[in-house]
Amino acid sequence: MDGTQSSNNSETDIWSEAGTTRVPFQVYQDVEIYAQELEKIFYGPSWNYVGLECEVPNSGDFRRNFIGEREVLMIRKDDGALSVVENRCAHRGAQLCQTLSGNAGSAIMCPYHQWTYTLDGELTGMPFKRGINGKGGLNPDFDMKAHGLVALRVESLNGVVFASFDHDVPTLKEYLGPDMVKYFTRIFNGRGLRVVGYERQVIDCNWKLQMENLKDPYHAGILHLFLISFGLFRLDQESKCLVDDSKGHSVLMTNKGTEEGKEDTGGVKIAAPDFALTDHDLIQPRLEFGDNTTLSIQTLFPSIIIQAQCNTLATRQVIPKGPGSHELVWTFFGFKDDDDEMKNLRLRQANLMGSAGYVTLDDAEALEFSQVGLSGSSAGDAAVLEIGGTDCESNDHLVTESLIRGFYMKYRDIMGHGKAGA
Amino acid sequence: MDQSEISQPVTDDVVLRRIERLQLNYISSIDEGPLDNWPHFFTDKCLYTVVSRDNFDRGMELGVMRFESVGMLIDRATATQHAAVFAPRIIRHLLGPTLVDDTGEGYRSRCNVAIYQTSPDGDTMLLMTAIYNDLIVEQDGVLKFKEKRVIYDTHRIPDSIVYPL
Repeated sequence: MDGTQSSNNSETDIWSEAGTTRVPFQVYQDVEIYAQELEKIFYGPSWNYVGLECEVPNSGDFRRNFIGEREVLMIRKDDGALSVVENRCAHRGAQLCQTLSGNAGSAIMCPYHQWTYTLDGELTGMPFKRGINGKGGLNPDFDMKAHGLVALRVESLNGVVFASFDHDVPTLKEYLGPDMVKYFTRIFNGRGLRVVGYERQVIDCNWKLQMENLKDPYHAGILHLFLISFGLFRLDQESKCLVDDSKGHSVLMTNKGTEEGKEDTGGVKIAAPDFALTDHDLIQPRLEFGDNTTLSIQTLFPSIIIQAQCNTLATRQVIPKGPGSHELVWTFFGFKDDDDEMKNLRLRQANLMGSAGYVTLDDAEALEFSQVGLSGSSAGDAAVLEIGGTDCESNDHLVTESLIRGFYMKYRDIMGHGKAGA
Repeated sequence: MDQSEISQPVTDDVVLRRIERLQLNYISSIDEGPLDNWPHFFTDKCLYTVVSRDNFDRGMELGVMRFESVGMLIDRATATQHAAVFAPRIIRHLLGPTLVDDTGEGYRSRCNVAIYQTSPDGDTMLLMTAIYNDLIVEQDGVLKFKEKRVIYDTHRIPDSIVYPL
């Protein structure tokens, strides 16, 4: 990866006394820190998004995904329950399933030597287990039970599936906490889900910068000229930024704005004040969650974002790809009982989001500017996060970086990076 | 796109050359600009979508762009030029030969396309390979796209899609 560096003094406290108001640039490019993030965060006691239940409706259906850099399969079993196993044969480590999704039937079979597993990952057999004419094969004392696939702990909440490599992790609801469950179930309210479509994009910046961006309402009222121009997002809108007790999760919500008064932009320079939009569907949402909120962005530690901008709903999964890059996977969804008008709205409003989105295009570009910029930094250089003060608390305004500071409090705790007191 | 579409291969060289010219002028409006010309290659009511092969094969219509009128295309062209933040880049479309059928309601035109992108520092990367699947109609003596579906193979897109494709 471009712009990476390595340090062997990983236990050194790289954080200054200024705490999470100064995020050392090393955390975005140091290969050793990155390796520890994979172990301590992604493969540690965290719940990671793996997909939606509606993606695997039938027995044997699977969908392939990543947790950190490890591939996993979300599988629907015969009894209707879900399993998540690592997509790696216990024999010689070959990747089991190559397609993004499919149906495995009643068993998972490695294409290399046809070692075969149940949908739970238990090893059931292989060709020539006893050899030929008593010669070769496995010893009779080979323990089949000890050579299954790596099976993850799985939980789902209203159709959204999470998994953890750590079987001792607290329950998903405990992990999220009551406040985050409340906002999560505002969107995932039990109605049947349907996938509207997928988008995948590689963005050459550290995965945490992507998470930070969705915890940064300050940028949204400045960078996104499209949103500002049409009153979809303004820093003076009625809004809230909520941080959970663990400080790692957050939600950012704004209520319906208007196109009026777009000339008052708080000093933000708009290049085309006369630009009028032909397609008003883009900015005229149908309220569908029983409130006036037209934008909500929930970020769950470590790496999933749940987005409801107007009527475009999506999970955005951040998949780390080395210190200097990540993949962003968008699963646009709707509800099974969407009427035709709503189906069309979701397709049209998707123009706001994704790799060509009126809004998110700016984000991907700015995030890459960040990675390029910080790659020239020296030890001791750090991002300055003092917008909205120095705390990590919830706010009823948007001009704050408190959610990012909160993220790094949790991050420092898990990584063992000094005392995450500030 | 309709598989049941009854169509005849077009062999008339004049028609084939006009369609080839339309496609070349179209990509020139993106590669060379000005982008303001791009919407006017379409009929007033139209369908422009950029959909991954992955979504398409799953029967999902979700696209990275989806516009249904010249007005929406103008929105995009204007926003790209005046209400978006991105690093400058050069886009280059390379078109393969075009297969044209007459469907009765218009010409169905299909051609492979490779789209390259060059950064301000001068590095060129393959942005995507795709197929154009278009429905072209004649309006007041001018050929226009009634439908342009860009179905792209490269569904793990290596960068943002700034310009139309």
